[in-house]
Amino acid sequence: MPLVAIEVFVWLILLLSTFLVAKVAFSINFGNATIIERIATQVMRNFLAGAIVLVWLLVWKKVTDSYLLRALGRQTAKL
Amino acid sequence: MLDIISMAYVAITFIITFLVTFIATPEVAKVMKHYGITGDDVHKLSKVKVPEMCGLAILLGLAIGTTTYMILRPSYVRETLAFLGTVLIAGGIGIIDDLRPLGARVKPLLTALSCLPILVLGAYVPTPVFPIIGPVRLTLIYPFLIPIAIAVTSNGVNMMDIMNGSMPGTVSIIAAAATGVLLLSGEAQTASLAAGLLAAMLAFYYFNRYPAKVFSGDTGSLAVGAALGALAILGRIETVLVVAMIPHIMNAFYGLASVGGLHERREIHQRPITLLKNGLLKASTEKGAPVTMARLILAEGPLGEKQIVRGMIILTAVSSVLALVTYWITLGGRI
Repeated sequence: MPLVAIEVFVWLILLLSTFLVAKVAFSINFGNATIIERIATQVMRNFLAGAIVLVWLLVWKKVTDSYLLRALGRQTAKL
Repeated sequence: MLDIISMAYVAITFIITFLVTFIATPEVAKVMKHYGITGDDVHKLSKVKVPEMCGLAILLGLAIGTTTYMILRPSYVRETLAFLGTVLIAGGIGIIDDLRPLGARVKPLLTALSCLPILVLGAYVPTPVFPIIGPVRLTLIYPFLIPIAIAVTSNGVNMMDIMNGSMPGTVSIIAAAATGVLLLSGEAQTASLAAGLLAAMLAFYYFNRYPAKVFSGDTGSLAVGAALGALAILGRIETVLVVAMIPHIMNAFYGLASVGGLHERREIHQRPITLLKNGLLKASTEKGAPVTMARLILAEGPLGEKQIVRGMIILTAVSSVLALVTYWITLGGRI
């Protein structure tokens, strides 16, 4: 079933994104001395993590859209 | 792993929740039929009227099952109350939505508020455990992520509740995976709550499976989705449940992305699937039609409703196996 393959692909990309979030986003540190520094660190980390997730979602959508178009095209051709 | 006494509590919660839901569902259906609260079974040629809002039986089952657990194990009262409170608030929003439909933007906002018991009781650890990397401290941001998580899970499950048996069929597999993971991690109280959800889903599936005799309505689907979100937070299995819910997240994300944001079903003019004269369902070939899980399953050719739901259940079973693999990968990083 092609959808199972897409699902496994989504899972693998999710693991990769998690790894990237940890290695890239969570490595950001503006210091811990003041509350402003702590808030800035957390906001920046989450902003970057959000950006990585967004890229993940776009890749995921692209793959699904191309599957749907191809499968529907085959169905229409059969008719 | 849990000791024998904790396992007995898990079993008691399961049995009580199952029995209450199983007995209450047909009774709630009778009441709904009496008051004319019914909906068309739109994916069938006969367009049978089916009692709506029978998710009330799920709420009742979960309420009685978890309250019994709370009485038996008062030391876990905070987590159990947080879970029950979240489920009941989400169910309450569902009741309002079933009786007087809420707007497409209002519903997610309101469901986000159902996390209040978790926040107020402080029943969370702001250190989610991620696969490969282990625990990550999110002290300031985590409380803001909780409403988003509850809104995503409750509306994700709600959007999957489109065919006979699709909601309880898929959620029971996720709840089983969650129960297994929580039992393995020794999380006694959350495992009992997950077992309660599994029991409610199995009991409800009996009546909601093809051909459905009851519909859960938003009352049931929003509450069940919120229950999954609460389990993820209380049991610290956030990533595991995200993976198990991949089909639900895929369905919701594709739907939102293809119609350009939050819209009510009646606001979207093109349907993702159409009912053929022979009773089979066919994916829409129109470009602007919403992309849903059902449309993706039907992309290869027309199928019956039962086969589509089977496809959804297979996809959820695969995602639940992947969730177990994720837990195994995560295990090294758990505190």
